[in-house]
Amino acid sequence: MSETITVFEDHSKQRIEYSTCYMCACRCGIKVTVENNNIRFIQGNREHPTNRGVLCAKGSAGIMKQNSPAKLHHPLLRKPGTARGAGEFVPISWNEALDMLTKRLQHIRSTDPNRLAFFTGRDQMQALTGLWAQQFGTLNWAAHGGFCSVNMAAGGLYMMPFAFWEFGDPDWDRTKYFMLWGVAEDHASNPIKIALEGLKRRGAKFVAVNPARTGYQAIADEWVAIRPGTDGLLALSMVHVLLKHELFDWDFLIRYTNAPFLVIQHPGHSDDGLFWRTESGEPYAWDMCQKTFVTGTDAGIAPSLLGDYQTPDGKTVKTVFSVLAEKYLDEAYAPERVAETTGVPAETIERLALEMAHVAFEETIEIACEWTDWAGRKHDRFIGRPVSMYAMRGVSAHSNGFQSARAIHLLQILLGTIDCPGGFCAKPPYPKPVPPPIKPAQHSAPNTPLKSSPLGYPTAPEDLVIDEQGRPKRIDKAFSWESPLAIQGLLHMVITNAHNYDPYRIDTLMLFMANMAWNSSMNTAEIQKMLVAKDPEDGEYRIPFIVVSDAFHSEMVNFADLVLPDTTYLERYDTLSMLDRPISETDAVCDSIRHPILEPNRDVRAWQEVLVDLAGRLGFPAFVNAKGEPRYKGYKDFIVYYEKEPGIGFLSGWRGEKGDQHLRGAPNPKQWEAYIEHKSFFQYHLPMSLRYFRSANKDYLEFAVEAGYIPEAKPILIELYSEPLQKFRLAGLGLYDGPQPKDPVDRERLATYFDPLPIWYEPLEQQRVDAEEYPFFAVNQRPMMMYHSWDSQNAWLRQIIAQNYLYMNRERGEQMGIKDQSWVWVESHNGKIRVQVKLIEGCQHNTVWTWNAIGKQSGAWGLTPDAPEATRGFLMNHLISELLPDKQGERRLTNSDPITGQAAWYDLRVRVYPAAPGEEGVWPTFPTIKPLPEEPKQPDRLRYHTHNPVNLKS
Amino acid sequence: MRLGLVIDLDTCVGCHACAVACKEWNTSGTTGALTDYQPYGAKPSGVWFNRIRHYEIGDYPHNKTINFPMSCMHCENAECVTVCPTGASYKRAEDGIVLVDQSKCMGCNYCSWACPYGARELDRASGTMKKCTLCIDRIYDMEIPEEERQPACVLTCPAHARMFGDFDDPESPVSRAVRERGGYQLMPELNYNPSNHYLPPRVHAPIDTERMRQKGLRAVKDWIHRAVER
Amino acid sequence: MHPALAVIFLTLFSGGGFGLMALTAIVNDFQIDGGLNPLQTMIALLVSLAFVSIGLLSSTAHLANPKNAWRAFTRWRTSWLAREGVFAVAYYPFAMLYLIWVFFTGHPAALPGLVLANMAALIGLITIFCQGMIYAVLRTIRQWNTPLVPANFYLMGLAIGATILVAIRWATGNPAPALLGTAAALLVLSAVFKGIYYFWISRPAGPTIRTATGFNRLNVRILDPGHTFGTFLTEEFGHTLAPASAHRIKALMYTIAYGVPLILLATVAQSNAAILAILAAVLVVGGIGIERWLFFVEAQHVINLYHGRQHC
Ligand SMILES: Nc1nc2c(c(=O)[nH]1)N[C@H]1C(S)=C(S)[C@@H](COP(=O)(O)OP(=O)(O)OC[C@H]3O[C@@H](n4cnc5c(=O)[nH]c(N)nc54)[C@H](O)[C@@H]3O)O[C@H]1N2
Ligand SMILES: Nc1nc2c(c(=O)[nH]1)N[C@H]1C(S)=C(S)[C@@H](COP(=O)(O)OP(=O)(O)OC[C@H]3O[C@@H](n4cnc5c(=O)[nH]c(N)nc54)[C@H](O)[C@@H]3O)O[C@H]1N2
Ligand code: SF4
Ligand code: SF4
Ligand code: SF4
Ligand code: SF4
Ligand code: SF4
Ligand SMILES: [Mo]
Repeated sequence: MSETITVFEDHSKQRIEYSTCYMCACRCGIKVTVENNNIRFIQGNREHPTNRGVLCAKGSAGIMKQNSPAKLHHPLLRKPGTARGAGEFVPISWNEALDMLTKRLQHIRSTDPNRLAFFTGRDQMQALTGLWAQQFGTLNWAAHGGFCSVNMAAGGLYMMPFAFWEFGDPDWDRTKYFMLWGVAEDHASNPIKIALEGLKRRGAKFVAVNPARTGYQAIADEWVAIRPGTDGLLALSMVHVLLKHELFDWDFLIRYTNAPFLVIQHPGHSDDGLFWRTESGEPYAWDMCQKTFVTGTDAGIAPSLLGDYQTPDGKTVKTVFSVLAEKYLDEAYAPERVAETTGVPAETIERLALEMAHVAFEETIEIACEWTDWAGRKHDRFIGRPVSMYAMRGVSAHSNGFQSARAIHLLQILLGTIDCPGGFCAKPPYPKPVPPPIKPAQHSAPNTPLKSSPLGYPTAPEDLVIDEQGRPKRIDKAFSWESPLAIQGLLHMVITNAHNYDPYRIDTLMLFMANMAWNSSMNTAEIQKMLVAKDPEDGEYRIPFIVVSDAFHSEMVNFADLVLPDTTYLERYDTLSMLDRPISETDAVCDSIRHPILEPNRDVRAWQEVLVDLAGRLGFPAFVNAKGEPRYKGYKDFIVYYEKEPGIGFLSGWRGEKGDQHLRGAPNPKQWEAYIEHKSFFQYHLPMSLRYFRSANKDYLEFAVEAGYIPEAKPILIELYSEPLQKFRLAGLGLYDGPQPKDPVDRERLATYFDPLPIWYEPLEQQRVDAEEYPFFAVNQRPMMMYHSWDSQNAWLRQIIAQNYLYMNRERGEQMGIKDQSWVWVESHNGKIRVQVKLIEGCQHNTVWTWNAIGKQSGAWGLTPDAPEATRGFLMNHLISELLPDKQGERRLTNSDPITGQAAWYDLRVRVYPAAPGEEGVWPTFPTIKPLPEEPKQPDRLRYHTHNPVNLKS
Repeated sequence: MRLGLVIDLDTCVGCHACAVACKEWNTSGTTGALTDYQPYGAKPSGVWFNRIRHYEIGDYPHNKTINFPMSCMHCENAECVTVCPTGASYKRAEDGIVLVDQSKCMGCNYCSWACPYGARELDRASGTMKKCTLCIDRIYDMEIPEEERQPACVLTCPAHARMFGDFDDPESPVSRAVRERGGYQLMPELNYNPSNHYLPPRVHAPIDTERMRQKGLRAVKDWIHRAVER
Repeated sequence: MHPALAVIFLTLFSGGGFGLMALTAIVNDFQIDGGLNPLQTMIALLVSLAFVSIGLLSSTAHLANPKNAWRAFTRWRTSWLAREGVFAVAYYPFAMLYLIWVFFTGHPAALPGLVLANMAALIGLITIFCQGMIYAVLRTIRQWNTPLVPANFYLMGLAIGATILVAIRWATGNPAPALLGTAAALLVLSAVFKGIYYFWISRPAGPTIRTATGFNRLNVRILDPGHTFGTFLTEEFGHTLAPASAHRIKALMYTIAYGVPLILLATVAQSNAAILAILAAVLVVGGIGIERWLFFVEAQHVINLYHGRQHC
């Protein structure tokens, strides 16, 4: 150490604040050093459960987000007399803006609330926006999940008490074999990186299934270069191998799944494929010891896993597991048979399955710990099968993603690695019943809140949100025959449907934090046309009024009639709530907050504040007192006092009047202060006895009831076989005792895809596109240092990547005469783009890929019009249609998973050919967006610093 | 003391977090500000002390991607110092950190020519040469909590692929990592004897599947039922 | 390497200037072709001083922070660049005093004058050596890391000096056959040495992308340099020349720097056409300018390995 102590900077001029990052949705804890009201340094909060002190590139670049020239400054109104999309705005005051909006919304609410479509992006405040929509009374609300990863949520939650995505995680510290399916970055950005290092240090094996080898796949011990869209088949082939070698966890299946339940075998009848149930509705099983039928959910029975039986009334019934084993032992799933389709050698498929079986069954781990199961029996240890998996959009962004996610879960379930030590574990408030017991609201009425949330989990055709004729009631057609289990809506269909008045015309489209005019829409160019299209009869815009809440000058802002400028994440109060998407860890209940660290220097308001304000003005029952006056002073006040049920609010820490109660307790007026004092997060560590097998763990279940996560402390079974899916299938087959679709195409889709057991089918678009004509799969990846469209405004991050390329297998490209770095045309059934190609090794032979959302419309995001993002970068979105290719005699169908409505971004097939000599630069290009009234001029040089440097002398 | 970094190529996912954290810390650090050129324009670029490059080794399908962070290696034979005509570049005797005295540098670029590792970048606005300071203003700032007296890049790395320490101490984590993991120097043939070392990717031992392969292989009807209490 | 005009000018002109000084001293020492008359000596000295000054001034223009340029002399113990600065500056008093001496005495070959001249010449030659060593010590640039660099600098500096002297002699109507022969010989020698140099750099050697990354047994290719646009490193070091253009430019260089001047000198020997002698000198300077440009662009710094070059 130096003898003389140098004073490098004056810490007395600095203050330190703890908050939560929002450069992406991972929500890491940050420690912000502020100096002279500028940010000196943003680092990770070492105590924070999410990131434990580390921070990603985006998080560290928060300074440049805060300094972005693209920040909005005032509420803006489209200049009267100018066309929408022309980019002419006039600044107005907040009062004017909110008065205008209130008037409009009041009218909608008192006539037909569904004429307001309120859709939000990756907001992390769906508990608030959902409540707002429910109170408004519109069915037309959803967040981004439908175009993002609803397949992961639904695939999991209709099978298991939790799911991939933000609902579960591998038991990172104990797992010995980890398989990652289709993940480039994900929402668990830092946690995955922290975990992968831990895995590798401990000598666990890391296998990555992905057509591209970058990022996480780079450090995988084994890379499986799969052909996109075939993960389900690969997983089911591994299931085949396990079954063939009798390698599955017999005990686990009996204890924790519905494998022993008896399924009625009665083809052509309305009970076919349903469980044979007792009078009271419990499924039957066959008891091996008593040699009799018993209630399958009873404790103490010894149910048979296999076999078919005759019921007293003469029906043939078969255990779920028998049905399952027969299905997957079929040679169609043999590795040799699927090798070509998946692109994975048969030897590899078999070996991977056996490796996992080896780790699961030969490297079992035990944790000595007394715990009580659901029936009150004590156990002295947790037994863990340390194989775990994680999957995301590489699986979900396909139209077979729901079933593929289930296939991957099935693999884990057979190995008995669910919520056990070293396995794939739930994050509180999960586990929840399968599926969670909330049904979507079905009816709306003027000036009346909906009875429940607009979103929920249908379990039978009766739960669909359709009218008597079977037509969708929602603008996005969620919960209709076309997308029955669209549990997160279909944001990607809203503009198209609203434009087509299909199923009806709306009045106002209110968008928060979704760049629907650009990177989050399929078919961007067409969507932009729809946003400005007018009705030939009345000359009005087909979408009459568009309200956009954004913090920055995005492409979407350009198409707004009213722009409500938001604060940045360092300027506002915010909650990351247990009522919402959890930031919990598998072993801890966690939530967190943001609080203002910097004063906004512009006339902006937090959207949270705006929503609470509007709710008061509109007189939502939950937001006004008996006299009809606003009940809450603002968002901060709302968070403190709002209770979902007694003692349960948005924040679970430091509740009770004295602030000494956690999870449940009366409102604490000083709750925000308590959070701020505790570095902006709350964490409750589950005792070891509550950490595993939680869906059958008595103490945990009781704890979860107390904390308000689940309604009752009943054990939750894994549904290997899904009866709800079978009900929809029966409806498709015309056998269901209840609503059935009329359109043959709906019938066919239900009958084909709603298999109660995981299946694999070729993605829908690919079924309609000639593979010879379009020989390549085309997919995207998230770059680790860029968040969708947000980060091109970031002076530091855009130096790392300001242009994307089309990546192609080198050998394949060379065979086709395509040169590295040359310009090529990429053509799909929907259109073509001209882009620059890079030939690489880490790309599956039949795949091309690019980084997502790097391309920008010229003039947006505070960039100069000649920014490479606009002149060289590109969006794959132009090639992707939101509708499936037309088929004779059929209505246009959404390009989505037929079960969940998940946007099928990665089903795309393309052909690639060299551009003619001289054809250079990206195509198509778009008109340059005009700068906003108060937009600053871009500086030529930037020299950000918070104090003068202390030079060290030589 | 011989301070420096160890970079673990087995776990670096190439996220650029270290590069950005470095930029962020050092733009207000001892040699800040680190200028950016055309920050919102056609050819954005700027001064960085740490850059991540990405390589592919081997041919498809036996290829592997390697993410490769590089900053100043604080070489023992720091030729960048020897060649500097003004004495602005110097290597500290007490800890081996190589620095540039901003008040003496004349911006001739010669030191950058002498550096094999691309560690030096000229700041056109100040006209001076800049480089990784090993976050000297973090590691010796006694007002920073002790566990945070680490380079910004090391603190932030989500994959814990960066380690900081004293190579002269054989028991320091960096020395041990180099010893145990076969840590190596880049371009040893140039004989700069860089302090920073790189840990090669680990090779995972094959998992024995033989026993598993022999199991089962009976028809379902021959599976032996097991009574398991629910 | 970035072929900055400033550094090209530095070595080209100051090298030529020092070469001219050296030859002026030698010619006057040994009274070759009868030695130089006062006028010729003064012209030579002025040209030499001008050349050296152009070189040094342009080199300071190359500095990003010229206000610290004065510090460049401080590290002469270790830095060849500092040494070059020290000697280059030391050249001035001797060269100028000699100029003054000749101007006032009209006796270029008188002993005090010759002492000054030889001192200036010696310092100039040492400076050329320092200049060569600035490049030759860099292990990072294989094309420079060779004694051929100072050797070439010498031969070219002297060749420039010799052709300029020839031009001065003919222009002042005072043919000098031995000098002309020397110039021709220096040109030929210089061309041969440059040829050896080109042959030497054409052989692959030194670090490769494999040793640079440590993956010695497999193909290593760059996937992404981690920045979309240029950085200081790509701007300073990222220049390359396609082999085809390199060959063309070298042929051009040989023609301009050596071929045509040699023919011109031969013609001068017969025709005594002063203009041709001047043209020869101009061409040599221009041609060696091209050589110097090539010297930079062809130099491949090892950092380029990290940007994807397979070898340097
Ligand atoms: N840095 C950063 N982080 C982000 C985001 C961001 O923009 N930037 N966005 C956030 C959001 S909204 C989301 S939804 C998540 C998504 O996070 P990810 O799930 O990581 O999403 P993608 O980047 O789409 O990655 C898809 C991966 O799957 C691969 N893939 C494509 N098709 C297939 C296939 O058929 N099978 C398999 N096995 N792999 C396939 C692709 O090569 C890619 O590696 O990331 C979140 N985190
Ligand atoms: N081709 C292709 N397209 C894709 C995908 C893909 O993989 N391939 N991925 C899809 C997926 S998974 C997703 S989630 C979407 C993401 O797409 P979007 O949800 O549209 O994501 P962003 O581009 O981040 O845009 C969000 C908007 O929020 C604004 N914003 C940022 N911070 C704030 C704030 O604090 N307040 C407010 N009010 N606004 C803010 C931004 O300025 C921006 O306009 O893209 C989808 N589009
Ligand atoms: S992953 Fe990065 S951007 Fe996302 S919240 Fe964490 S630090 Fe912020
Ligand atoms: S890496 Fe370069 S700048 Fe750093 S000490 Fe070594 S030679 Fe000098
Ligand atoms: S650029 Fe500065 S530090 Fe580098 S050699 Fe020149 S004077 Fe020295
Ligand atoms: S040690 Fe500090 S200066 Fe050096 S690369 Fe890391 S963060 Fe940058
Ligand atoms: S932060 Fe760590 S993982 Fe990311 S690029 Fe740097 S060294 Fe690699
Ligand atoms: Mo997403």
